[in-house]
Amino acid sequence: MLKKTTSNGREVAQRKTCASRLVGAVLGLAAFFGAALLPNEASAQEILLTGPLAGAGAVHNLRLYRKGRVEFAPTATFTLLDEYLRQIIVGARLNYNLTDYLAIGAWGGFSPEALHFEAGLVDRIQAVNEARGQNNAQRLALNQQPNLQNRLTSLNLGQNFADQLGSIDWIIAPQVTFVPFRGKLALFQSIYIDADLYFFAGPAIAGLTERADCSGPTSAAVGGCNSETDSGQVDANGDPIPIPNSQAFPMASRIAIAPTFGLGFTFYVNRWNALGFEWRAVPFARNTGGFDNHGTGPDGEFPDGQINSDDRDLKLNQMLSVSWNFYLPLDYQVSE
Amino acid sequence: MKKIGVAFLVASAVIASPLLALGQDDEEGADDTAAEAGDTEGEPEEGAEKPDGEEAGLGSICEIDPDACPKLDFDKEAARDIREQVFAVQQLFVLRRWRFEVQPFWQVPLNDQFVGHAGPGLGLNFWITNVLAAGISGNYYEPFNSDSDFNFQTRRAARIGVPLTEYRWNANVNFTYTPIVGKFSGFGDFIFQYDAYVVGGVGAISTRPIPVIDPDNRGFDWETNIAFNAGIGLHIFFNRWLAATLEVRDYVFNDKLENTNIPPGSEQDPDTWYGETQLTNNVQAQLGISIFFPLSFEYRLPK
Repeated sequence: MLKKTTSNGREVAQRKTCASRLVGAVLGLAAFFGAALLPNEASAQEILLTGPLAGAGAVHNLRLYRKGRVEFAPTATFTLLDEYLRQIIVGARLNYNLTDYLAIGAWGGFSPEALHFEAGLVDRIQAVNEARGQNNAQRLALNQQPNLQNRLTSLNLGQNFADQLGSIDWIIAPQVTFVPFRGKLALFQSIYIDADLYFFAGPAIAGLTERADCSGPTSAAVGGCNSETDSGQVDANGDPIPIPNSQAFPMASRIAIAPTFGLGFTFYVNRWNALGFEWRAVPFARNTGGFDNHGTGPDGEFPDGQINSDDRDLKLNQMLSVSWNFYLPLDYQVSE
Repeated sequence: MKKIGVAFLVASAVIASPLLALGQDDEEGADDTAAEAGDTEGEPEEGAEKPDGEEAGLGSICEIDPDACPKLDFDKEAARDIREQVFAVQQLFVLRRWRFEVQPFWQVPLNDQFVGHAGPGLGLNFWITNVLAAGISGNYYEPFNSDSDFNFQTRRAARIGVPLTEYRWNANVNFTYTPIVGKFSGFGDFIFQYDAYVVGGVGAISTRPIPVIDPDNRGFDWETNIAFNAGIGLHIFFNRWLAATLEVRDYVFNDKLENTNIPPGSEQDPDTWYGETQLTNNVQAQLGISIFFPLSFEYRLPK
């Protein structure tokens, strides 16, 4: 090809050379990756299509830990990825296992005040809040108005930030449990336990405490949203001097209905009891900090000077549960 | 160009050729294990048919001395409780000894509500035994750091800036130990194998504060910190060389945070930009696949 002398011929020859190079490179790459990635020996698990095991089930003489049994499981549930308040929900799960792979039941629990733990961010915010309070007191002593920044936060920060945090007080969730995977595991090849992996879903009814709805710039004590109180003093111009962030905001309870779903592992200790680990999500909108986040402007993304349902943000509300499961009757059935 | 193509083919042949690893090369050990696995394995069961030679020998004894002739009550023997030693998992589905594991994954942070640090990662392990591996791993974060809306809302509502940190990369050396192996039946129809492992090691992570308190004046350079890591994970095997991997790992390091105060007159002095140093846990969920090389191996373990 390269012997052609005309310019046109040379172009054709170069084009052909480029094309052959491209083909060579593609073939080379294909061969390289093909040889590197493909196994040269079949290695998947053998499936016996003929012989005495043809058509046989995967497991024989399976211990049916669930079929026809009632499961009662006290649970401790830990909330995850909380911005301000971590909670432990104590409760229980009650299931009736219709078959070994299907159960109906409910999980429920409550979270008393003693099991609420504030995140580090709460301490940080409260430390700034208190520093502002001291600054306000110093200025008041000099008959001066508080800083504008301190006054601007009176809609969102009360005297003690921890007192305005939203919490999940109780929750109950009727649910259907599906158990598609059942197996065993060996620990150090010497201890073995039976286990299953299950999925569940259902509706959840949650009792919440959140900052109460309010509107208007008046004091929170009379239904407004402002945590300022009147100091009774006036500045040099005769204007009254307020004390910002000096009231506690009223709180209110409400009920949220949301879907719940998750998955869990059961590790059977003996014939009638087991340990369980479960991840659950209960997605619903809530106002965890008691702030005025939304309500006006484009797409309602700007604060509107009110606290209401617009200020709630959708959260997945993830939880991790550990449980100690008991099964009745005490003995299980065995499959064929 | 032909030479390049040929070079690729040669390289392919070199890579493809050692695709068989021996799971265990200690024949003596294998025999020992076989003996442990089942004392009765390989021996004829009582009551089973004996070879002609043995039958002839037994008959001769009975003829010579009828009192010495063995008398077996087969019903009684059948009812006898047999305590055969059975391992929980009789045969490891996947032998890993002397194999390389390549583990690409995608990770999401589990404990940082303020900044998202999702990103890709890669782990490389060499399995020294069937349960112990030494390896390296790394994550790449830089283009995926995301400041959450929650930070903005807190800053707007409470007029308080929360110091934030973004990550660039991390790299680690680690050991992996697999104490748990198991299998599950799915829908009572198919069986899949899995194992659970613990992993731990040490490495480095590159981080810097996101300027929140005084973004007009402050700009931070990336700094490298020592990071320790520990985690647990699962391999769920699709076949003997490919598995899905789910791992939760905690990377612990000392994080230098932005100073929440702005000293008057020193706004542009970098020495005043850093505040407290905080021990930080970056807990990640890592979801990926594991590919074991060589792709196949030869069993020399008892069933």
